[in-house]
Amino acid sequence: MIRVGVDVGGTFTDLVLEAVDAAGGQRVYTHKVPSTAADQSVGVVQGVVELCRIAGVDPGQVDALFHGTTVATNIVIERNGAEVGMITTKGFRDILHMGRHKRPHNFSLQFDVPWQSAPLIKRRNRIAVSERILPPDGRIETKLDEAEVERAAELFAERKLDAVVIGFLFSFLNNEHELRAKEIVQRVMPDAFVCASSEVVNTIREYERFSSAAMNAYIGPRTARYLDNLQRRLGEAGVNAYVRMMQSNGGVSTVEQASRNPVGLLLSGPAGGVIGGRWTGEACGQNEIITIDIGGTSADISVIRGGDLTIKNPRDTEVAHLPVLVPMIDIDAIGAGGGSIAYVDSGGAFRVGPRSAGAEPGPACYGKGGEEPTVTDAQVVLGRLDPEHFLGGGLKIDPALSERAIRERLAEPLGLSVRDAALGVLKIVNNNMALAIASNSVAKGIDPRGYSLMAFGGAGPLHGVALGEMIWAKNVISPLHPGITAAMGLLVTEPRYEFTQSALTILEGQNDNAFAAVGGIFDRLRAEAAAQLAADGIAPGDQTFTRIAECRYVGQGFELRVEVPDGPFTADTAREVQQRFFAIHRTEYGHAFEDQPVQMVTLRVIGTSKSETLRLPALPKGGRNNPSEAALYARPTTFDDGQTLPTPRFDRMKLRAEDTITGPAVVVQQNSTTIVPPGFTATVMKLGDLVISRSRAEA
Amino acid sequence: MTKTIDPITLQVIGGALHAIAEQMGNVLYRMSYSSIIRESQDLGAGLFDLDYNTLCESDSTPMHIGSIPGYMRGIEKSIPKSSWKEGDVVIHNHPYYGASHSPDIGIVMPIFYHGELVGFSANTAHHLDIGAATPGLIIDVPDVFAEGMLLNGLKLYEAGKRNETLWRYISGNTRVPGLVMRDLEAQIAAAELGVRRYCELMDTYGRGTVEQACKQLMDYSERMLRREIAKIPDGDYTAEGFMDDDGRTRGKHLPIKVTVRVRGDDVEVDLTGSSPQVPTAFNVPFEGSTKVACYFAFRALLLDTYTNQEYIPQNEGSFRPVKVTAPLGSIFNPIAPAACEARFNQIQRIVDLIIKALAPVLPDKCTAGNAACLSFASYSGVRPSGDYWVLIEVNEAAMGGRPASDGPDTIEELMRNTRNNPLEDLGMHLPMICDRYEIRDDVFPGAGEYRGGMGVVKSQRFLTPGFMTHESDRNEDTPWGIFGGHEGATAAVRIHNHDRGTDPQDVPAKFSGMRAELGDVVTYLSPCGGGYGDPLRRDPRKVLDDLLDGYITPDHAREVYGVVVQEVQNGYRWGLDTAATDALRARRAQSA
Repeated sequence: MIRVGVDVGGTFTDLVLEAVDAAGGQRVYTHKVPSTAADQSVGVVQGVVELCRIAGVDPGQVDALFHGTTVATNIVIERNGAEVGMITTKGFRDILHMGRHKRPHNFSLQFDVPWQSAPLIKRRNRIAVSERILPPDGRIETKLDEAEVERAAELFAERKLDAVVIGFLFSFLNNEHELRAKEIVQRVMPDAFVCASSEVVNTIREYERFSSAAMNAYIGPRTARYLDNLQRRLGEAGVNAYVRMMQSNGGVSTVEQASRNPVGLLLSGPAGGVIGGRWTGEACGQNEIITIDIGGTSADISVIRGGDLTIKNPRDTEVAHLPVLVPMIDIDAIGAGGGSIAYVDSGGAFRVGPRSAGAEPGPACYGKGGEEPTVTDAQVVLGRLDPEHFLGGGLKIDPALSERAIRERLAEPLGLSVRDAALGVLKIVNNNMALAIASNSVAKGIDPRGYSLMAFGGAGPLHGVALGEMIWAKNVISPLHPGITAAMGLLVTEPRYEFTQSALTILEGQNDNAFAAVGGIFDRLRAEAAAQLAADGIAPGDQTFTRIAECRYVGQGFELRVEVPDGPFTADTAREVQQRFFAIHRTEYGHAFEDQPVQMVTLRVIGTSKSETLRLPALPKGGRNNPSEAALYARPTTFDDGQTLPTPRFDRMKLRAEDTITGPAVVVQQNSTTIVPPGFTATVMKLGDLVISRSRAEA
Repeated sequence: MTKTIDPITLQVIGGALHAIAEQMGNVLYRMSYSSIIRESQDLGAGLFDLDYNTLCESDSTPMHIGSIPGYMRGIEKSIPKSSWKEGDVVIHNHPYYGASHSPDIGIVMPIFYHGELVGFSANTAHHLDIGAATPGLIIDVPDVFAEGMLLNGLKLYEAGKRNETLWRYISGNTRVPGLVMRDLEAQIAAAELGVRRYCELMDTYGRGTVEQACKQLMDYSERMLRREIAKIPDGDYTAEGFMDDDGRTRGKHLPIKVTVRVRGDDVEVDLTGSSPQVPTAFNVPFEGSTKVACYFAFRALLLDTYTNQEYIPQNEGSFRPVKVTAPLGSIFNPIAPAACEARFNQIQRIVDLIIKALAPVLPDKCTAGNAACLSFASYSGVRPSGDYWVLIEVNEAAMGGRPASDGPDTIEELMRNTRNNPLEDLGMHLPMICDRYEIRDDVFPGAGEYRGGMGVVKSQRFLTPGFMTHESDRNEDTPWGIFGGHEGATAAVRIHNHDRGTDPQDVPAKFSGMRAELGDVVTYLSPCGGGYGDPLRRDPRKVLDDLLDGYITPDHAREVYGVVVQEVQNGYRWGLDTAATDALRARRAQSA
């Protein structure tokens, strides 16, 4: 069995290959190539082919490829998605423009309203047609005017739109009109990406449903093109592995499913990192972790409490301030990374990011035409990144170019020494990251003093200890392979498919037919999930299903998730769901009204399967301090407090379990560099992860 | 105990306080039943010290933020601090004892730490119906007693034991007990959470440290606001406007006058010159509403959270530099027993006029005239079972153009920031159906370099006979343009019958207890904001966008913006004629 994980970041594409032979012998190889922004699949395939060569396997032998991609997210952030048309109910053309009419800032007059200033669908392309479905039973008051739909589609075709959304009011009760309109649009525009809101998320509340569908269509055509390119290029390179896409909910899905419902890929990139972070934490015996994945362009922050990922309530899930009702891990991204550009703004202020040099042209030291200094250049100037170890020496860097960029662009205009300017770059970028961590921990009542900070991504361990100090973390973890933690996370995921249907049902006083109808919906959702798992090649015996009813008291507006017991849905099941709801309501709010009727709003089935997990070999025990066997050489290195000290380098691959490294020290490896400042000690854990804490005088 | 707290602990405690207030607000709106609380989030929640200083407040609706200390000062008149017991829950809504207005019921719990009173956990929420003269909302009533139940500092729980008599009294005096009583339980749950979390905070950091941190955080917020006030040149700045009428005496405008006095880092808002109090409910409680509006105006203008990067905690400190004066007996400081439930439109105008008064000295922070109103619609009826149904809905409006951006369209502006009710959610529960909810298309946007925001049009149809009260304004005083921008548009309210096909009739902005017939459709068109700057300076591409998006016509683009378009064959019909635009704009500049 050969499995490959590929994680595409803004700057680098990280890869890991695990080969398990028939005897259970296991080998792990890692690799890193520059990302190819114009078409990420070029870098992916190049990386896979090179990694196969490194591992000595033929590309055709790879069985499975797990892929995390930022393609979908980048489309939203850069707002370069499809020109989308929308066909909606007459009288309700502007639901997407009005949103929930609440402004994003209470105490502001100059605030931006993202859904108005950068809409996914422009007003000119929202066309309202005659049709009317009425609550509460979904009966048709006005039949769909098919001629109007056809005229709208013809206009969209003339305007060369490449995606269309159908969003009608009350389609969660009856989606006959939506599906009919979709057929007509597909006939007129056979090449367009077309989706109906009830297909994307079949839930009550028009703005959130329309917004989710609009997002799906906005990212649909480009995402599908990307996935096509990926499949084609893989095939051309002789890779026949089945491909699984990392989804925002922490599970994986097939390419076909991802193409149809790209809205599930919005956190595909960062999700792998959080899962890899959790897995590394387990290996280090830590289950309270703040993860920060620092790449070239951005840093992604997430919190793991008690070993559990933080999943957002699907009513609160947003991407770029737009509601997207799909389950997703709670991850906050900020524009700060190794490639973040440092500059002096027009008002004379010293700023770092969010603009990034990316991989092309990259930091000044790459010598690829980048003239602006970046965070990486500051690290180089301060002697923390050694040219011969940068990417294992695979990428040539020129410290003189870093020095020149910082001198000309920062030091001279600001009247600082080059050293002080470089230290300033790090201080500013670290402060930005520390504030973001605080708003995801302290501001949510999480005291970071009880948490480990796990800093990964290529640049993570360069910043880890500085950040850990700023947020007062308990300690700092540098994973064994910081640069590919997210790629490794991809190899510890499992398939996870969720299917939903809104079906408002009161749990009391119903006849058996009503409960049988609920059971029928659950059966259908389960069958859809099972079909999807089967399509992934998962045998029925390995499939597991969880049934969720999102419930509220009749009259409330917010639902709580209640797990529904297995078996036919009967009056007994209803009573059990009601009891479970009371218990959850009490936990959540401190109160439960046991005399009040409970209503199920949305039914959900989650289909999963346990899959292979990644096993890394345990290291032999060392127990040495600053082992000479791992020492390389010493070089002057400048630390955050401004001290420049002769600092020894250690080869991470030669460290053993329970070895300790006392700072000042720099631990180097192929894809990353870990800084251990004076006054800190790094301890090697059983698999090779480093836990760094303040040095203590041992008794 | 008075030792200065280190900055890390200060940030951690500040963050924890903020999180507690947010959680209180979340429990309240997620657990509640009525759509005015659960969807609109017309509520506020927070923690307060023994002097009723706000330590933290949920980031929900600005109107509620800063109003709760008034409730507690009012309660003290019936419950002195020495009379509080652990487990007490006090209910209060008296507008002459600090309440914001009578439907905003306050729930206050004392926080005891190791047996000692250390503060209060409290929240306010807008209740659907408190048994007033008309269901939901009121306008034309004779006095405060017609507003419904007046609850003046009553212990709903005494030392943890519920007062069943009071509970039954409240339940028996609202039209919708099923919603109101559950919403009260949600309020109590939120207050209990605050008590628990504040004690936990003291367990973690020690009482002395928490109290010192609270003091430092308040000082910090005060310092940040004073620093900005000090940058405004000393002087008296005045602006005036008027309200349509008081809801009874049609055609009689009510003047509003705002004078802002800046002296160093202090500021005073003087409302002298505004209308005397009126004989309807269209008056404003001074403590709980008038003052709160003035606090809001300076925070939003001077510590704008969009343009300022530093996080400034929401606490008492930001109220301290602002003094508010309104003569007793005026619309902003009425004398009991004048009714004073319908106060939102007036306070919106205070804020808008503060902005207008200061615009000449704060051109980069102000806005053109905002809608600065509120359409508060109460729909109700009696179900076949004999039970009432009541829906209170807030209709959004729009903002004026701004120094670097257009005024937002269809948005909750100034003191309000509720969420709309999903039409699909309402449709599942109420005998009403929404026939139209869109951007207004009967007027042009307030022209400017940055145009005013467009208002909303919303039509609600009765599927059974019922009642309706509408609290609104600004059908007559048009939102102004500024620095060369044009004015926006006034509001309108129209009624027609869908089933009988009658023509729409214009009605006044305010009406009370109207009997609606089956098929009656009430259409509200909100005001639109004024423009900022000369329309001839507007980017022609934005003018084209407005044309393609259906806000303006080719003629309007030419006449008002000096932008010339030509027909193109790309499916969108219109494109820019850049040469003709440049020439026309040059001619206009010459003749100006």
